[in-house]
Amino acid sequence: MAVNMEVFHQFLGQIAQLGARAKPARLSDQERVQQAKSVLREGLRAEQAGDLESCMHCGLCAEACHFRVGTDNPRYTPAAKFQLARRVYRREVGPFRWLYRLATREITVQDLLDAQELVFDSCTTCGRCTLICPMGINIAGLVTLTRHALASAGLIPDDLAAVEQEQGENGTVFGAGPEHLEQALEQLRSQGIEAPLDKPQAEVMVLTSVVDLLLFNDQLASTVRLLNKLGLDWTFRSNAFEGANFGYLAGCGEVQKKATLRVIEEAVSIGAKAVIVPECGHAYPALRWEGANVYGKPLPFDVYAISEFIGLMLREGRLQLPGALEGEVVTYHDPCKVGRHSGVFQEPREVLQALGAELHEMPSHALTNWCCGGGAGLFVINSTAPLRRAAFEIKKREVEQTGAAKVVMACGSCRLNFIKGQEDTGMAGEIVSLVALVGEHLETPDPDRGIPEKTTE
Amino acid sequence: MIAWFIDGPFWYFSFTVFLVASVWKLVAIIARGRPRNLAKPRKTPGGGALATIFRRFVPYPEFRKASRVQFRAGYLFHLGLLALLFFAAPHVEFISRRITGFSWPAMPHWAFIFTGELALGGLLFLIVYRLMNPVTRYLSSWGDHFSSWLVFLVMLTGCLALLRSHESLRLVHLFLAELLLLWFPFGSLVHAITFPLSRGFTGAVYHRKGVNL
Repeated sequence: MAVNMEVFHQFLGQIAQLGARAKPARLSDQERVQQAKSVLREGLRAEQAGDLESCMHCGLCAEACHFRVGTDNPRYTPAAKFQLARRVYRREVGPFRWLYRLATREITVQDLLDAQELVFDSCTTCGRCTLICPMGINIAGLVTLTRHALASAGLIPDDLAAVEQEQGENGTVFGAGPEHLEQALEQLRSQGIEAPLDKPQAEVMVLTSVVDLLLFNDQLASTVRLLNKLGLDWTFRSNAFEGANFGYLAGCGEVQKKATLRVIEEAVSIGAKAVIVPECGHAYPALRWEGANVYGKPLPFDVYAISEFIGLMLREGRLQLPGALEGEVVTYHDPCKVGRHSGVFQEPREVLQALGAELHEMPSHALTNWCCGGGAGLFVINSTAPLRRAAFEIKKREVEQTGAAKVVMACGSCRLNFIKGQEDTGMAGEIVSLVALVGEHLETPDPDRGIPEKTTE
Repeated sequence: MIAWFIDGPFWYFSFTVFLVASVWKLVAIIARGRPRNLAKPRKTPGGGALATIFRRFVPYPEFRKASRVQFRAGYLFHLGLLALLFFAAPHVEFISRRITGFSWPAMPHWAFIFTGELALGGLLFLIVYRLMNPVTRYLSSWGDHFSSWLVFLVMLTGCLALLRSHESLRLVHLFLAELLLLWFPFGSLVHAITFPLSRGFTGAVYHRKGVNL
């Protein structure tokens, strides 16, 4: 299903105006520095200390970073992105801090401002740099910690801050409230598709995202049809339907916690045994890997990314997919947060295999895939556009090397960035959502039974 | 007098600082602890930690081309240095007399020369690379350069002292080695003892999520 490009550009237009909506933090320079140092001091535990002690500036990480490789600018070398954390560690936390204070200067607000571009604009925390690092340093983890430090200092980029503030204050993202969910589901119901909302009890609670409601309607429709076909006892909940967590993206722990708890408490209230996260990269780790820590105890339900869930249903024999793609050549783009950060590699590939696709892998795929450049909130940070474009050239080369007619992905953020990237670079191939592809081919075409070749509009 | 100082008090001082500060650093890192992780794991972290410590000695196929120069020079230097440090006859004699109290077979003299040249060649390459490559030039601090050059000087004076024709060459070599021991826990050379921690922790974190690093 083609994406409505008019709506896509309207969405870009909304993003362009985000910065003006942000409420600036009223902190003095000294307060910003103290806040940032405080967060770093608390967050620099054994794992981070081991990492910071081990970096010997070999520069190998530069070869794995899409922003550094795309721009050929050493400034974007991953190891440069955690130098603020390293200085705070050495001066304030490490065992010989009394000695290092003699040789390293105090952190200033300019240091925080310099770090802002490095950890927000030029890092999607994709983790590819960790794979090449001989010391195994978890660079994405250090960048995330630094984001938290800058967030506490009121230094989240304005456009990202605007969305984070909205979610913190209103619980909505881009103004998408329960009425938008209801509207989108009504559209499906008008097509004869059952779309449960606010069932008081259900085994499965499903999340969606503002991007699915406003733009990627195919993902929403396909998810609904799939869950109905599986015969699951499932529901959306108007009080907690948003999978995106802009507190998580912006490094604002308070908003992250609020957004996560909203989902968890709602799922608990309806007795859900499983929560399914939509095609949204960060939404999955925010709930799957951070949810329990925010909740303070193990989650009483399982969390699945939709791509993971479909694969699981295939493995359990609860879903059969016709090989409708009949050997069509496709390639699969692994979303970093669902793949490299969460281990979901095989399930989407099994789905494509079940659909009858001929999968041509990109030279770097699965664990070592190149990031598309749009994750970790970068798509809403307007100043990142040139960096994202430079990084996307790498992805374009990888996709075109496969000769695939379709590039399939299971992340709305990636899909947004791919669409923009295709516009900017002329990349060949159709950009397709995995769940939408499944939804299009849920039934074996059977004109006698009135099932046309494609089962969605 | 100088010889007595280098062979005696300064050796004891530098070795003690090296040992105490290195152990202190490792203990301090581990003592910072880790927050409890309540998320349901896909796999046990421990297995991942161990696996990553060893697996990371070999780069992923996708990165072999980009990293081959540094890996080759790096291994030449590191393996050569290890061999020299523990199997060069003068070192075996020094360590057995001053530290362990027991000895072991040293490598033949020709192997000593060959290994020394390879290790020194690898190190020289890495020093030049650090100075010439835009990324490492951007990243490197004075501490990185100091570490590289100090190790180089230790190795160079070691080569010169091989001739054993002048006691002063041996003393210069020993003095620089003692400076290196003093510096080791405080600069980036400490990666030699912290790398199992960084690899292990990261391996554990990812393995927990079902990712084999």
